[in-house]
Amino acid sequence: DIEDVGHKYYLELELEDVLDKGRTVNCTAEVLYHLGSKSTAPDVQLTVQGELRGTEEADQEFYNRIRSLEKELVAENIPDSHGNVPLELEPIHLLAWAASGYVIWQNSTENTEFHLAQVKHVKQVKRSDEDLQFDYVLLLHEMVSQEVIPWEVTVLWHPQHPARVSWDRRQLGHTLG
Amino acid sequence: IQLDFWLAPRGLGLPIDIRVPFPSLQPVKAHLEASGVSYSIMIEDVQALVDEEQTEMLRRSRQLPLDTNTFNYEAYHTLDEIYNFMDMLVAENPNLVSKLEIGRSTEDRPLYVLKFSTGGTNRPAIWIDTGIHSREWVTQASGVWFAKKIVQDHANNEGVASILESMDIFLEIVTNPDGFAFTHTKNRMWRKTRSKHSGSICVGVDPNRNWDAGFGEAGASGNPCTETYHGPYANSEPEVKSIVDFVKSHGNIKAFISIHSYSQLLLYPYGYTSTPVPDQQELHEVSAKAVAALSSLYGTKYKYGSIITTIYRASGATVDWTYNQGIKYSFTFELRDTGRYGFLLPAKQIVPTAEETWLALKVIMEHARDNMY
Repeated sequence: DIEDVGHKYYLELELEDVLDKGRTVNCTAEVLYHLGSKSTAPDVQLTVQGELRGTEEADQEFYNRIRSLEKELVAENIPDSHGNVPLELEPIHLLAWAASGYVIWQNSTENTEFHLAQVKHVKQVKRSDEDLQFDYVLLLHEMVSQEVIPWEVTVLWHPQHPARVSWDRRQLGHTLG
Repeated sequence: IQLDFWLAPRGLGLPIDIRVPFPSLQPVKAHLEASGVSYSIMIEDVQALVDEEQTEMLRRSRQLPLDTNTFNYEAYHTLDEIYNFMDMLVAENPNLVSKLEIGRSTEDRPLYVLKFSTGGTNRPAIWIDTGIHSREWVTQASGVWFAKKIVQDHANNEGVASILESMDIFLEIVTNPDGFAFTHTKNRMWRKTRSKHSGSICVGVDPNRNWDAGFGEAGASGNPCTETYHGPYANSEPEVKSIVDFVKSHGNIKAFISIHSYSQLLLYPYGYTSTPVPDQQELHEVSAKAVAALSSLYGTKYKYGSIITTIYRASGATVDWTYNQGIKYSFTFELRDTGRYGFLLPAKQIVPTAEETWLALKVIMEHARDNMY
């Protein structure tokens, strides 16, 4: 408890590589939730103790594959109702995962717990520069309220640069029934 | 010769796979042997494999499986398929299983409960429900597996067979059929019932906030357009009222387990207040044992504790009401996973989830049997 500032948490985390089970990396983090502020994201400091797996080859393969598509990639419902993700859409799913991490961070308080529920829709947008652009509609599930919230997210990616969310917005219009 | 290369030539030292039509078999073999090219037969008869696959596909595409042995437990099913499964299970085991209709949903779908009993009159009973929140698909799928498992254990005189000697088991697999149908046709993420109450354009009540335990207090929403809307009054939802009526008229239920997903938690009352239940210590100990049994199978990690301390404040929850009715062993499960797939758990995880959960359920059932009250 930091008076007049907010609540600070000191965390020791173990990251597990979902694509390489058994491979773990330890991290420490400091998270500061600002007092009373609903519009400021918590401050996060993270230290990774060790190395993350290199994915250069797979990244390049994916990049080349998308760049060589004649028509822009369009997909929806990833995973589908039965939890399936087609093999060729796995990287799209993973990119959405990373992007949702950013959106979740920006919208988290001490009373929220978000998970990416599904990629409702994704559309590739061809660019004149070297980046890949994907416009997503993500469904974020918030545990406490149990709401599933559609969120529009634009992601830019290139093999040599980390993924970036260049634009995001909570989708307007609530599902009534 | 009509050779069909399944793995084309790529370079020296790399293998090639060829499908050879029957008439060409002899000449091809002769040629390879004469050239000193080594080969091995990977598939003796491709046609046989193709025929087998055709039969399989035809069988699977038929609307209804033949019996509960050919039913596919490793897939998600529609409401009709699950209701058909129930009828098959009863037909195959008329001396053990019966189907009760305890009410009708808002959209007038029957609410079915399977009763597993080896006899007696109004024996002490265990209640298990799955699918009260319709989007939690691994729960209904697990319920189907549990039903079959109970029958199998009884036939093999193992597992829960001993429990069935002195107790009955009631299993409601699709506790919210309207919501379930909606997740198949319109919105996979639908959670609530499908009731329309006057004064709002929004549809549905959270059936796990509609029970008469701290109803309407903090931990539920009064806004009909939200996912935790408690409804206009306790038991407003027929899906809830029918269970309330059943429990009250049965009067001899000793354990009540309501199954949800996801988060991997085993929870006991209360959710509406931080006052611990009088039986807190015992329920905590049983939970520890149940979770250990669950983990022993595949290493799946569960946390456990009271609803309010482990997950969040929730009012009008099922097991808070059942506990206050005197059903001491009232538990709620949150099954796999912890968020990677969430509600969209891959079908191949259905059976492992059901198997490990069953071990935990057995701990609770056996404890109830051995600690009759």
